[in-house]
Amino acid sequence: MTEKQIALTVNGTEHELEIEPRELLVHALREELDLTGTHIGCDTGNCGACTVEMDGQAVKSCLLFAVQADGSEIGTVEGLEDLPEAGDGRSDLHPIQEGFTRMHGLQCGYCTPGMMMAAKTLLAENGDPTEAEIREKISGNLCRCTGYKNIVKSVQYAADVYNDREPPESPVEHAESGVEAAADGGASRTDGGRADAFTSDCGCDRADPSHEAGTGSGADE
Amino acid sequence: MKAARFEHHEPTTVEEAVSLLESLDGPTILGGGQSLVPLMRFRLAAPDTVVDLNGIDGLDYLREEDGTLRIGALVRHADVEAAGLIGERYGSFADAAPLIGDPQVRNRGTVVGSVTQSDPKGDWGTVLLAHEGEVVARGPDGERTIPAGEFFLLPYDNVLDEDELVTELRVPVASAGEGSAYRKLKRKVGDYAMVGAAARLALDDGVVSEASVALTAVDITNVAVPEAGEHLVGERPSGERFRDAGEMAAEAANPETDEHGSARYKSNMTRVLTQHALADALERASHGRAAADGGTADARTTDGGTTDRSTATSGATDGSTTDGGSIDDGTHRDCAGGE
Repeated sequence: MTEKQIALTVNGTEHELEIEPRELLVHALREELDLTGTHIGCDTGNCGACTVEMDGQAVKSCLLFAVQADGSEIGTVEGLEDLPEAGDGRSDLHPIQEGFTRMHGLQCGYCTPGMMMAAKTLLAENGDPTEAEIREKISGNLCRCTGYKNIVKSVQYAADVYNDREPPESPVEHAESGVEAAADGGASRTDGGRADAFTSDCGCDRADPSHEAGTGSGADE
Repeated sequence: MKAARFEHHEPTTVEEAVSLLESLDGPTILGGGQSLVPLMRFRLAAPDTVVDLNGIDGLDYLREEDGTLRIGALVRHADVEAAGLIGERYGSFADAAPLIGDPQVRNRGTVVGSVTQSDPKGDWGTVLLAHEGEVVARGPDGERTIPAGEFFLLPYDNVLDEDELVTELRVPVASAGEGSAYRKLKRKVGDYAMVGAAARLALDDGVVSEASVALTAVDITNVAVPEAGEHLVGERPSGERFRDAGEMAAEAANPETDEHGSARYKSNMTRVLTQHALADALERASHGRAAADGGTADARTTDGGTTDRSTATSGATDGSTTDGGSIDDGTHRDCAGGE
């Protein structure tokens, strides 16, 4: 069956691809362009881990054939750091990335790229959303770790930066050490560094008896 | 899983699309793709050829023209959500749009695609039925207009021929005294309806001049309940009449027991949601407003949701709606009997 030639502008860089029509956009991003920050979670269109920005709108890249994106501008998690808003907060990261790292908006990180891209399209059209608007916008993205509370706080953190308000201090000590790892959805993090980085990110004292009940940002919803 | 191999055709005009549909063997039409792409990925559908409409310019219009609301084949659910025209005058459309799928799905999925998919759990067919709308199809022999009431045949099946393309939906423009609403019961975001009910009322000097009720997910297709509408026409709206209409809707429904609920529960909710939709439609007909609230009725709020209804209807102070409060009393009692 014939391949088709398509042009995708991904994070500002134009790519010409020869692909089969049956190839999904998420496969083109991950397998042809090696942009593995966009995740495949459920394979059914429910989980939203594959959310990318397409011509300014959040879409699920597992529900689109790549040929349908021919000529489109695609934004993925890898591009956040290069956007104009990057560096407006307390680090070189995009405010949304910074929000997720500082407000403990991820645990396993699998949903994070999709969450951040959904948040990015929200903040592009509504720079100062209410909590309800944030929750509505991420309602197509499932997180099985955090209970969403800290994800909402992470997006609110970014909105604070967008609106020149002082964002809240991170409840997590040593937030900076986790910054690089989360910036690309965890893609660049090595397994060897993971365990150590996680404990230092977490910032909790494991000898502290309140640990289990207290610091878990977990399933409170 | 990857979809089976297929040829992708991207016509740039409706004429080209129709001629492709005529010449290709067993083509499938790709609109928003939010149902078709997963079906193809699971190989529940494995068409050899796909005719992708997204390259056709000028099919994304939503406008009133010559007494008709026209919705083009590439109007997305999110476009309906955002359209000021819808928010002001077409309450049932304004209610239904934000309850479909999730934000990402609504950015891609189309209204026409939902109607042509003809899933009995789809919402737009029900709204179209309640508005006595039409489906406009283009084929090799030209254009034909199919009344919504004659469109649906079976689950995922309708009267379209394989070489016909739906170019638009048409709905009579809402009159000044008209109100409509859609109520949907679903367990969570992204789910299809367990039960949905659309209602449309037109008032003339406090008397119902037009009324229609249609239902989602309780039969083999989206269905209209003409007897419920007829029961209301020529009468002043009242809680008693709305209760009767709700019972008629439940009587007409043929829900099936599944993992989401028993047939008895769905039948009861058909009655309740029909009453709610009628109460919303009346409120809007009386006040010239479209969406009084989100129209949301998910599983968690249904029991408590009656409070909202009584607030909404108690706002209606003219004589024709003084029965509004009793609608809610009845509903509340009935809800408590649900499962």
